[in-house]
Amino acid sequence: MTATANPERPRLGVFKLTSCDGCQLTLLDCEDELLLLAATIDIVHFPEGVSPARSEGPFDLAIIEGSVSTAEQLQEVKQIRSQSRVLVTIGACATSGGIQALRNFVSGEEDGFDEFRKAVYARPEYVDSLATSTPVSQHVAVDFELRGCPIDKRQLLELITAYLRGRTPAIKNESVCFECKRRGTVCVVVTDNTPCLGPVTHAGCGAICPAFRRGCYGCFGPRESAATESLATQMKNIGRSEQEILRSFRLFTAASPEFEKESKRHE
Amino acid sequence: MVDSGTQVHKSMPRSGLETLLSVLSQEGYRLVGPTISEGAIVFDDIATTKDLPIGWTDRQSPGRYRLEKSGDDRAFGFVVGPHSWKQFLFPAKETLHQATYDESAGMWRQSDDHTVATAFIGVRACDLAGIGIQDRVFIGGKYVDQGYHNRRHSHFIVAVNCLQAGDLCFCDSMGTGPEVKSGFDICLTELDSTFLVQAGSERGDSIVAQLPLAAASQDEHKALLTGLAQCRQSMGRQLDTENIEGLLFGNLEHPQWEDVSERCLACGNCTMVCPTCFCYSVDEVADLGDDPPQRERSWDSCFSQQHSKINGATFQPAIKDRYRQWLTHKLASWQSQFGTSGCVGCGRCIAWCPVGIDLTEEVAAIRVGAEEPVSMPACETVTIAPATEQDAGESTTPIFATTEATVAGVVTEAPKVATLALTMPVGYDYQPGQFNMLSLPGIGEVPISVSGDSDGAFEHTIHSVGNVSEALNGLEPGSTLGVRGPYGSSWPMALARSRPVTVIAGGLGLAPLRGVIRRLLEQAESGSRNGDTEWLRLIYGARHPEALLFTRELEQWRKNPAFRVAVTVDQSTSGWTGNVGTVITFLSRKRIPVESLYLVCGPEVMMLAVVRVLLDAQVPPEHIYLSMERNMKCAAGHCGRCQYGPYFICKDGPVLGYDKLSFLFGKRGF
Ligand SMILES: Cc1cc2nc3c(=O)[nH]c(=O)nc-3n(C[C@H](O)[C@H](O)[C@H](O)COP(=O)(O)OP(=O)(O)OC[C@H]3O[C@@H](n4cnc5c(N)ncnc54)[C@H](O)[C@@H]3O)c2cc1C
Ligand code: SF4
Ligand code: SF4
Ligand code: SF4
Ligand code: SF4
Ligand code: FES
Repeated sequence: MTATANPERPRLGVFKLTSCDGCQLTLLDCEDELLLLAATIDIVHFPEGVSPARSEGPFDLAIIEGSVSTAEQLQEVKQIRSQSRVLVTIGACATSGGIQALRNFVSGEEDGFDEFRKAVYARPEYVDSLATSTPVSQHVAVDFELRGCPIDKRQLLELITAYLRGRTPAIKNESVCFECKRRGTVCVVVTDNTPCLGPVTHAGCGAICPAFRRGCYGCFGPRESAATESLATQMKNIGRSEQEILRSFRLFTAASPEFEKESKRHE
Repeated sequence: MVDSGTQVHKSMPRSGLETLLSVLSQEGYRLVGPTISEGAIVFDDIATTKDLPIGWTDRQSPGRYRLEKSGDDRAFGFVVGPHSWKQFLFPAKETLHQATYDESAGMWRQSDDHTVATAFIGVRACDLAGIGIQDRVFIGGKYVDQGYHNRRHSHFIVAVNCLQAGDLCFCDSMGTGPEVKSGFDICLTELDSTFLVQAGSERGDSIVAQLPLAAASQDEHKALLTGLAQCRQSMGRQLDTENIEGLLFGNLEHPQWEDVSERCLACGNCTMVCPTCFCYSVDEVADLGDDPPQRERSWDSCFSQQHSKINGATFQPAIKDRYRQWLTHKLASWQSQFGTSGCVGCGRCIAWCPVGIDLTEEVAAIRVGAEEPVSMPACETVTIAPATEQDAGESTTPIFATTEATVAGVVTEAPKVATLALTMPVGYDYQPGQFNMLSLPGIGEVPISVSGDSDGAFEHTIHSVGNVSEALNGLEPGSTLGVRGPYGSSWPMALARSRPVTVIAGGLGLAPLRGVIRRLLEQAESGSRNGDTEWLRLIYGARHPEALLFTRELEQWRKNPAFRVAVTVDQSTSGWTGNVGTVITFLSRKRIPVESLYLVCGPEVMMLAVVRVLLDAQVPPEHIYLSMERNMKCAAGHCGRCQYGPYFICKDGPVLGYDKLSFLFGKRGF
């Protein structure tokens, strides 16, 4: 974007908005690797709540974790965007509103939440007063959204290296089934009738749950071309109730448009 | 087969199976065979017969697989499970051979050969056919996948005849089974109380010689023959393959495609379990530290979006497109590409589809109300690379073998477009229309056409659209980069020699055509076109005047009386005095000589419109040539990314005659 930075010593800014601790932990877990780079890059870390006394940009790479839930945060993401060459968001909170977006569904049930939510999504200035949780990409242009609840450490490191080296991150937008099959896991749907969101979920976790004989919970959110309707029919055919199907789609990334739409079909 | 050689089959007591495993082990083979894990019979390391699924069988139906006690003590009383042998010959993830970055030499080098000689225990006839099909892909053409080659030739195959078909088997329809006929080292047939044993190679002979064998009895032979016949009778599925290539490509708009797309999840499971699917992705990966970047290959599938995505377009955006790609490739275009179907009838894709889509049913449904079949291009001969490199001679090249080129000069052509002149490795040459794979370690590799050559350097005109192209355009004279090529087909120079030529280019499409213009002009200078006037025409369109490429050369061309140059821009700017409007508007206002040869390159929508105008003017399709663009990873016909119906754009294209393309060109979703 607009900002330029010193190519000799790239500046990396890490920002935290509203989120649980999962991604934060993954980030902390990466510190050893990031420290390796300390000699070549400047890492500036901003934990939640330090604002407004923020260090100034520009940043070569800004990483935002967490969703936008206050007016202050809204200002903040705009400011970060204007100071960053590349802006990436990480985790289900930053990319889809996160599990805290669940409260939107619950609170809405009593007083006409449909209109309420429409207003929120169309007019982000209400975000603060309504205390809903929205993805960063709803407010500013985002160069890459790293999925996951929590994010995967290898993917985070790949993302950072790729952008620092000027490469497209080797992060695929395929279904979890691809990873599941590549690791040789036997499909839990076909052998056990276990419901699994793998076919409609964005890859990245390495298909951990099926490897432990559990169905995928969809933490990474919908993949492109998420055929949720056909999958819901399959779940029904293996004896799942409407309520169970609704709950499967209304979890970590409940507010993602594809999953939201599917869960509403089963209300 | 009646003559399943009374001489070749020997009888072995059941206990001989243990002996076979231990002999193979002693010979140094890693043993991989069927074993029970996670509720299915999978392929994994085994040590003794105890690891085999003795007494178990599999029950399968669309989207469903269950293990059951078989009630006997057979070791091979099941059919096929979720795994296939491809995962050992073509691993799901692999750091590429030939692709470890050698920092000191500044280039990609062949990584060590980690092949461990492995004995596959219990390979079914359909799976042997599957291996044979992947041989055609990975070691059957000009380019050889070294890793696959090494593994393929060091592995030992113990095959098993099927005497009992599974619920989803249809190898009989595909002509691949149930009888094992060739391509094995040892073949076993499991009978009630004995095994029949047959050696199929010298290696097999030497192992068989160490087994406790006796002559096979008449009864044992009879049991084999009746068992095979019964197996054929009891196939769980059937597929009518008659003229299936023409059927599928003649019915690309059949309502069944819509129907299946509402069920299909595009999850990719069918392609991953299929023993023949070969598509892969190659990605640059690197640690944060100073470790050199690596190239990693992983299974990909036409059900992923990346598969058909290029900068600015996704050719198969809808699930319908992707399912149609899978089915038409498997059962139809595979035939044109490799001279065989891509399906061996194992039934895996039916069982392991989470929503139970059954390709045999889909084909049957398409046959109902089908339109006339179309005719498909024939396949060229495929020869499998022999075991040793000496035997292979110089007819094959290792895939991904990259050498170093140096930037001799950089010319800025237009905003975000530059021409890099590269000093190539000794002996490099190309034909206009061909392309190279240019790479920067740790950043990536992309296909770029050669846009000409001068003073011994080869030019590449590059538009910065993403990370790799941008990094290439940022190179300065003296810097080095990786190069492999040239790849692909070239413009038809022989045809061009004898008739007038019209070159039609849109945007960057002039780059791959500049070489051909220069060659034709050189030939004319040497007198081949004496007396002809205006035998060469160029119609070149760009968005706006600033985007025009090779402007100085265009001016020179204009001065040549034999060369008629027309340039048009979509949007003019102040100072522009030339034509305004698209190439199409320009073309439709002009006379279109029927006898001319037309060479066309530009965005696909533009080429489509140009072709329409030319065909309307009665230009014969075989005199229209187009240069096509698809996603590319290997440039050698292996990764499957660049497929366009029966063609690989990387090796059959990028330049193709319209007569070859007409049955598909303009149809969405390919
Ligand atoms: C036969 C052929 C000849 C070409 N000749 C030229 C040329 O002369 N000049 C030129 O500027 N461009 C040419 N292209 C297009 C060029 O390859 C793409 O613009 C380039 O791959 C974009 O890579 P990127 O990393 O910069 O962009 P990104 O959009 O970030 O691409 C990411 C990756 O997708 C793949 N990809 C993206 N676009 C294409 C594409 N159009 N074709 C194939 N793979 C793609 C590559 O693997 C690439 O690394 C040609 C393409 C083909 C197939
Ligand atoms: S277990 Fe789930 S993720 Fe794995 S292949 Fe089956 S459906 Fe896909
Ligand atoms: S298409 Fe299906 S039945 Fe045919 S070989 Fe592949 S997995 Fe087996
Ligand atoms: S394009 Fe063909 S080989 Fe590749 S995944 Fe699809 S069906 Fe398989
Ligand atoms: S056919 Fe079945 S296995 Fe294949 S992509 Fe579609 S849903 Fe997945
Ligand atoms: S098959 Fe790999 S690029 Fe053509």
